[in-house]
Amino acid sequence: MMKAKYILAAGLMALGLSTQAQTLDRTKLPVDAPAPAIKIGKPVSFTLANGLKVFVVQNNKLPRVAFSLLFDYLPIREGEKAGYVSIASQLIKTGTKTRTKDQIDEAVDFIGGSLNTTPTGVYAMSLKKHTPKMLEVMSDVVLNPKFTQEELDKLKKQTKSGLASQKDNPAAIATRVSSILVYGKDHPYGEPDSEETVDRITLDDCRKFYETYYRPNIGYLAVVGDITPEEARPMVEKYFGKWQPGEVPKPTYEMPKPPAKTTIVMVDKPSSVQSMVYITHPVQLKPYTTESIQASLTNDILGGSGGNARLFNNLREKHGYTYGAYSTLTSDRLVGRFRANASVRNAVTDSAVGEFINELKSIRSSKPSAEELKSTKNTFAGNFIFTLEDPETIADFAINTARYHLPEDFFSNYLKNVDAVTVDQVEASANKLIDPEHAYIVVVGKASEVADKLKRFGDIVYYDLNGNKVEAPAPGKLTTSAVPAGLSADQVINKYLTAIGGKDAIAKITDVTQKMTTEVQGTKVDIESKQKGMTKFKLSVMAMGQVVQKVTSDGVKVKEEGGGGQSRASVDDEAKIEILKNAIFPELLFATMGAKTALVGTEKINGKDAYKVDVTLGKKTISEFYDVETGLKVQYTAIEQGPQGEMAVNTGLSNYKEVNGVKFPNTLTQNLGPMTMKMETQSLVVNTGLDDKEFTVQ
Amino acid sequence: MKRTVLYVALSQCLLWSAVAQTPRKTAPTRPAAKPAAAVSKAPVSTPAEQPAARIKFTEYDLPNGLHVILHQDNTTPLVAVTMMYHVGSKNEQPGRSGFAHFFEHLMFEGSDNIKRGEYMKIVKGAGGQLNANTSNDRTFYYELLPSNKLELGLYMESERLLHARVDEKGVETQREVVKEERRQRYENQPYGSFFPQVLSHAFKVHPYKWAPIGSMEDLNAAKIDEFRDFYKEFYIPGNAILSIAGDINPEDAKKLIDKYFGEIPKGTKTPYRPNVKEPVQKAEVRDIVYDNVSLPGVFQAYHMPAQGDPDYYALDVLQTLLAAGESSRMNKELVDKQQKAVQTGVFPLSTEDPGLFIAIGIANMGVKAEDLEAGMNAEIEKVKKNLVSDAEFQKVKNQIETNFVNQNAGVAGIAESLANYKMYLGDANLINTELARYNKVTKEDLRRVANKYLTKENRVVLYYLPKAMEPKKEDKGK
Repeated sequence: MMKAKYILAAGLMALGLSTQAQTLDRTKLPVDAPAPAIKIGKPVSFTLANGLKVFVVQNNKLPRVAFSLLFDYLPIREGEKAGYVSIASQLIKTGTKTRTKDQIDEAVDFIGGSLNTTPTGVYAMSLKKHTPKMLEVMSDVVLNPKFTQEELDKLKKQTKSGLASQKDNPAAIATRVSSILVYGKDHPYGEPDSEETVDRITLDDCRKFYETYYRPNIGYLAVVGDITPEEARPMVEKYFGKWQPGEVPKPTYEMPKPPAKTTIVMVDKPSSVQSMVYITHPVQLKPYTTESIQASLTNDILGGSGGNARLFNNLREKHGYTYGAYSTLTSDRLVGRFRANASVRNAVTDSAVGEFINELKSIRSSKPSAEELKSTKNTFAGNFIFTLEDPETIADFAINTARYHLPEDFFSNYLKNVDAVTVDQVEASANKLIDPEHAYIVVVGKASEVADKLKRFGDIVYYDLNGNKVEAPAPGKLTTSAVPAGLSADQVINKYLTAIGGKDAIAKITDVTQKMTTEVQGTKVDIESKQKGMTKFKLSVMAMGQVVQKVTSDGVKVKEEGGGGQSRASVDDEAKIEILKNAIFPELLFATMGAKTALVGTEKINGKDAYKVDVTLGKKTISEFYDVETGLKVQYTAIEQGPQGEMAVNTGLSNYKEVNGVKFPNTLTQNLGPMTMKMETQSLVVNTGLDDKEFTVQ
Repeated sequence: MKRTVLYVALSQCLLWSAVAQTPRKTAPTRPAAKPAAAVSKAPVSTPAEQPAARIKFTEYDLPNGLHVILHQDNTTPLVAVTMMYHVGSKNEQPGRSGFAHFFEHLMFEGSDNIKRGEYMKIVKGAGGQLNANTSNDRTFYYELLPSNKLELGLYMESERLLHARVDEKGVETQREVVKEERRQRYENQPYGSFFPQVLSHAFKVHPYKWAPIGSMEDLNAAKIDEFRDFYKEFYIPGNAILSIAGDINPEDAKKLIDKYFGEIPKGTKTPYRPNVKEPVQKAEVRDIVYDNVSLPGVFQAYHMPAQGDPDYYALDVLQTLLAAGESSRMNKELVDKQQKAVQTGVFPLSTEDPGLFIAIGIANMGVKAEDLEAGMNAEIEKVKKNLVSDAEFQKVKNQIETNFVNQNAGVAGIAESLANYKMYLGDANLINTELARYNKVTKEDLRRVANKYLTKENRVVLYYLPKAMEPKKEDKGK
């Protein structure tokens, strides 16, 4: 239809006839009006005696004034106190020498203003008529903060709640794990915060952060809005003139390296209906350079936002795999990053990864068309114009010119430089900065549905959300999900003790003798376990009439003897762990032994939800699993020294039967590498009066 | 690596967009833009007091019924071309929930003159940005362009209205895309389902009972002929407002508008407007949603009047009192002092028919939903019992005034506000005068509306609890 009409119109014109002058020819796009002139204003700038650089942008469109303070320092490595910088910057707003937190909040809200403190800056905004009051509060917070334990504790608690909630959020997990992989745990951009690191943060850490980094000599203050430079200057002098400069450290960091070859990193989240896919690696890309301008266009062609880039057109418009697929190339003073990402449904996860890789390869192997580059430049230029609507952009330009020592005309020439980028430069930029052969493909999703099909893209390694390698989830055992809030390890343990008969009944059990049998590779194995009190035990394993293994505890020392005569004795923490693993009711020993317990979440054990409680003694951890519904212990997991190094051994507990009012598991299963051993109880008797001599350890 | 967690991104939950909204980068944290759904909540300062903030505009109707609003602001060479269609999820038929939003996705598929896949390409290639979103009441499309491309924006929107491409291929692709959008934002996101859940519990007969995203079942059932009928019924000039703001010359703009929209015929159908009155709720509705969350969430929704009602304004002021700013009552008490919550929020829905006043709390670690809810209720009870002090009332008014000024910071927001006021309240000039309606609200009104609407019988309470706390699978049914 459309073509016919077009050809007819062209035919008529060729005959020298005109189509009706008034009829709109909708087959052609309208012609643009002449391009508008783009004016980039210049702020008025001055520097205070203490080194604070001030930039004033007057814009009377709205009757408001914003003060935006930026601290220019290199990122801080927080180490075992990861999270303290963020907490410290929030703490700054929670009290001054003359104002409580309530008074600060009240003062800001009363004038309808806003005030934020972050690790790298402070932002305050209000209507013009309230500017003096706003500045007074802002400067009080910046110059005279008072750090109190009470407010720190609040922030720590909120931060930990935040961390807990991240565990449910696939996007948060993907971002977290990607950063750990791309930058490494020893890099400021990669070090993960956790409940433990947050716990270690002290008031002193926060104070030191403030004293070191909230300094005028590394500060840039943008004053933007309905204010003249003549009005601004005395105000800034008055409120920030007394602020003292200080020495600010300039740390250096190692450049993170991309992986030797592309690796699939699977983070199992069994409840997922979509996979969060991040393809990412570090890049060397400094901001505000010719290279970074080329990189922007390269990325916009590949995966820029807004709906016309290759990834979007392929994964969404062509295949319908996703609501959106995008990429970013981040420039940074220390280290930049490439990332392509999308949320895709489980069934097409591998196909989506395949299309991602096709696009990443294709932008390297061939130049974009001139038309594609032109269109991308136009989008870029449009966005540049749109940012100019916000007068703060003018201040940002001036501040970045100073921070990065750019030529004075860098931003006025910006669009000219964008326009000068060639298709060859885009190709070169793609080859330098986008590398599908040396990337992490992070997939957060339901491993049991998506992992197998991802193997064709590389080796699969499993990670937890703290960036630690973990074992591939075996069928029936999937990784941890959601820690139920409001529930503690103690509550889970108490529920278990109640479920097996209650503390009173347990207290009446003085000793237990249990005989079990199993079969290992066709050989019958007998196991006899004798336990007395809380901590004494003797475990004998017999096969073909011989003792093949014996473990004895006298309550303090533990001795392990093998069939070949070798033996090993352990004391202290190591002995305690052995005792915990073998004791009848280790739950009653946690406190006296100084073991720390933590409820880390729920896992599916044999298809049913179980609470996972980690029991840590020194450097050793064992995990206990308690059925959510029945409260009974269904498994414990310990790391054992095996022939091929360390391995996790799961001991499953089931078939509980009551003896003297207490339930004991009568079936034990244990995985030894690929093997599973099932131990069935033949007899279990209690309170036979076992002699202490049985449990001597030399 | 360390960042602040946003537990429930409210703006994310209310509107459903053609393309995911990309978060804007910010240096130090600047005030966030208000959710578009709450756009009419910020009141206006009186023109006499703030002449600089006055928004001038002209408006008129084309003979085919299209309403046009123009606002000129030549400060920056950009223009926002927007079309608001008076159709949202409430105009959908039962069994076809999600239809209006699905259709919005189709409107990017092209037209008789724009090939499939070209629509976004043309606008982006011209240096523009474009997107659309669908609420319960309306569908909103926009292009933000360098101002010399005004004509292109008009062409694109007129193609959409005149002869959009509605074909099998587009329907099938977008069906998958919309389903992915639903998975991404509703199913795979903690608390992501709260808005659809709140609606389905609060409304029994009114079509507000389903959210704009619709159900998977209904999305699967939508057929091509239904889309064609939908287009004929709702995408007609008389059912739309063309609102333009930015670097324009109104006289030239009018000529161009005539050129592109003048030839579009009037529709032949009358758009379906549900005339359904939700019966008064007589008893509290409570339910528990077991979700992939670790912190319990409490979502309360009280039935409230439609936007524009005098009590709507009082409830909006009450919202500011309860939840705007660090010193607001809920934040101060529940987050700061009692530390029961990590996040609290209150937002009255600005809906065309009577809607909901929604209060949200996300519990701090170790706090039970019951305790948090008790804390939230205590704040509501205080408002019911005691009048606010003069100082606190003044604070709230000052906050409202600042909000108004901030609302008009960009031409895109101005274009949308003008269209909103016209479509829902029949008067675009409320962008300048609505403050008077807020100023009428008295301290006594706050207490009165709290007692009238914020009652136990009038509310829905949903707990979001960790899946691990779910008692037994069998009890839940399907």
